[in-house]
Amino acid sequence: MKLKFIFLFFGLLCSLSSCIEIFDDLTIHNDGTGTFKYNINLSSSKLKINSILALDSLNGVKVPSIEVVKSEIARIKSKFELKTGISNVSIESNFTDFIFKMKCDFTNVSSLQSAIKEIVTEENLLKDIDDLSHNWVSWEGQKLTRNIPDISFKKTKELTANEIELLTQGKYTSITRFDRPIEKFDNQTGKLSASKMAIMLQTNTYSLLQNAKLLENTIYLSPLKN
Amino acid sequence: MRIIIALTCLFLSLGILAQNSEDFIPRDAVTVFSINNISLLQKISMDDLVQYEFMEEVQTELFDGSTSGKTLKDSGIDFDQKLNVFYGKGIDHEVSGFTFGIKNKEQLFTVFDDFDKVESSIKGLEFYTSLSNHLIIKGNVGVLMRVEPLSEKVTEYADSIWYARGYKIPSDSYDEEDGEVLDNSDVIMEEEEYDAEKIDSLTQNNPVALESAFPVPTEDPNEKNYNELKDSVLLIFQKMYLAEICRDLFIKGNNLKKSDLQFANQLTHKTEGVFYMDNSRNLKKAQGAWYFQTMFPSLYSEVNELYSGNIILGDLVLNSNSIQLKLESNYGDVLGSIYEKLNDAKFDKSVLKYIHQNSPAHFTYNVNLREAYEQAYKIVVPILEKQKDARISSSLLTLELFNEFINKDALFGTYKGSMFGTFNGIKKVKTRKIEYIYDEKTFEFSEKEVEGEEDMPLFAFGLSTDRKDIPDKILSHISRLTSQCKNYGKYWKFDNAILESIPLYMINRNGLFIFTNDEDLAINHADGFGSEAISGKAARHIKNNGFMFAHVDWSKTIERLPREMFTTEQNDLLDAMREKTGIMELVSSKTTKQKTSFDIVYDFSEQYGNSGKYILDLVNSIYVLSK
Repeated sequence: MKLKFIFLFFGLLCSLSSCIEIFDDLTIHNDGTGTFKYNINLSSSKLKINSILALDSLNGVKVPSIEVVKSEIARIKSKFELKTGISNVSIESNFTDFIFKMKCDFTNVSSLQSAIKEIVTEENLLKDIDDLSHNWVSWEGQKLTRNIPDISFKKTKELTANEIELLTQGKYTSITRFDRPIEKFDNQTGKLSASKMAIMLQTNTYSLLQNAKLLENTIYLSPLKN
Repeated sequence: MRIIIALTCLFLSLGILAQNSEDFIPRDAVTVFSINNISLLQKISMDDLVQYEFMEEVQTELFDGSTSGKTLKDSGIDFDQKLNVFYGKGIDHEVSGFTFGIKNKEQLFTVFDDFDKVESSIKGLEFYTSLSNHLIIKGNVGVLMRVEPLSEKVTEYADSIWYARGYKIPSDSYDEEDGEVLDNSDVIMEEEEYDAEKIDSLTQNNPVALESAFPVPTEDPNEKNYNELKDSVLLIFQKMYLAEICRDLFIKGNNLKKSDLQFANQLTHKTEGVFYMDNSRNLKKAQGAWYFQTMFPSLYSEVNELYSGNIILGDLVLNSNSIQLKLESNYGDVLGSIYEKLNDAKFDKSVLKYIHQNSPAHFTYNVNLREAYEQAYKIVVPILEKQKDARISSSLLTLELFNEFINKDALFGTYKGSMFGTFNGIKKVKTRKIEYIYDEKTFEFSEKEVEGEEDMPLFAFGLSTDRKDIPDKILSHISRLTSQCKNYGKYWKFDNAILESIPLYMINRNGLFIFTNDEDLAINHADGFGSEAISGKAARHIKNNGFMFAHVDWSKTIERLPREMFTTEQNDLLDAMREKTGIMELVSSKTTKQKTSFDIVYDFSEQYGNSGKYILDLVNSIYVLSK
């Protein structure tokens, strides 16, 4: 139950913190196995976060202690480890610079997707997510499709000018890596690495909240050489 | 209840004077705010008042949802009389309410329309009740009163009866889970679910707990469950204490004005409002006082004697361009002798060097801790010597040995007691942050520590000291233990001391030991601001205004607050304040053995008109913004 409060608090914290940096990094090998990394960097706002942590509550949301956050992270980690097809789960928490790094290996993207969905459902983290049966990511050997579910965050029009400014300073980066070169991709904002083995999508957190589909992409790979 | 809150809020911001309403304040009242409506209405006309937007809501509330063209003027309340808001706490109960004048009883009951008349056992009294609130009318005076027994007492009696009836574990024997979210309806639902889970687990393991927590209805409808029993006990105590208060007030004719001459005298002041708080009775009726009284009766009596006459009196004055709160802290000669010594300190002029002439807010506090300690020792030791209790005797020995062995010159030389503080606005301060660097070829990333900037309020807080060597000794020791603490000659710097992010600077010079997060002050002004420091008339003003002085220039302070630190709603409120700000100052008088006076004055520009209009405009702005 505490995780939901921490999640709620974290959302609030992110909306109040300038220059939040989030990135996900998905590596998919030719056999469909891979590694997923998710990092949140709040080091630009550590002064503000430390001030908030000294409070009892913020905008009506109870501020959890660092100890509570640590124990919840440990609980979720062990829960994640038990999910089918998931291994080598690690979560690094840096409470000095407020950087959180999650990493895990998966046997296929469906396992990763199922594990995340199960945790979201079990912990009741997102009540307004439109359809959990929807595929967020699918892999067909030569084609990877990333869809973004509709998550009802606070609508942009309800955000204050101050919140918009803070969110605009935040950055979201999504990287997808493969063992072989990328042939083409649908999202025109995508940037291909010089090696052509990775593609990066970058946007600010405000634009992302306005239109989550900015990170959607279908990536076509060159044929597998025997 | 909403009516009471609405009325109280209204009257607190407005005021009423009843001819004899002050004669019906119970003796139990320890805090009273009495508002002189005659004086106030000369500054705020009733016709102007009812035009304000916030009054619409007050009036809607008063007239039960429908104003029907009615205004406050149609409430039946006599606005030529005083309103006295009171609160008191006894050992077993609390009493609160207000007394007011009545002009038209019929109109009054359009406001108090949910009060039912009950038979009065006291001749000449009309008695009306609505749940726990009681309206008592005598002549042209109304007393709205609420009496609440202390919950500990109600629980104690309810439990006792409950056990006597053969039940076990009253319903509230398990703790309620703390709310994780304070204002979120979704989460309230979660809490309820959580409680339900908890109750389930409790009752699965212990069926008796369920039975006692929520007794099953029996065949006898007169059999009460625990909560019903507790309500009954509460009601009986409410009636009992209310009857006691009414007997004292209306039959014996006792009231606070009669029992406290200082209060009676205060009521004669022709100011817009008067304030009264009896600290000595607060002490006597504090939680735990009974234990002290029972275990150490003689010491309790001595302490009471020491605190007798400890009363705070105040006047609210609305001048043409200022609002003034005059406070007088009264005490007995014995306690007064300690305060007199404490506040008899020479002003430490060196603090002026560290107050910038543009400082939006600062305070100074000058006391002589050594003298106060010596005087307190002289008073406390003889009191403790009279006690025959082993624990007190042991404490006394500790105190006497401490007094003998300790180096008081070093202790009170290091911390003399005087201090000052300044707020110097908000500045960008340098912090360290982590950035991600991407390799263009592979998009592999690495972390890099770079310099960042964040907003931070700048402050300085200094203590007077004659022993520069002692803080230096402590800091030298710390610097040997950690590389975070370093001596830079004119100042010490402790890295990441504030919010684990920014440095704290310590300046140990000119008879002051100063803590600050203002890098500029530490590096460039370790010996003070020089020609930029507060000086001349402003400096003399600080020096000549007693042991305690504070100055806040709201316009400068609000101007320097960064908008990004606040929500839109808070910024709207601050914008409204920006248009209506002034200077607030706290000054104090010389302390005597009998009293110390304080004046809090809020000055604003003439352009806002008179002070009454200024307050109402401000209240209205806040109301409109919060709608």
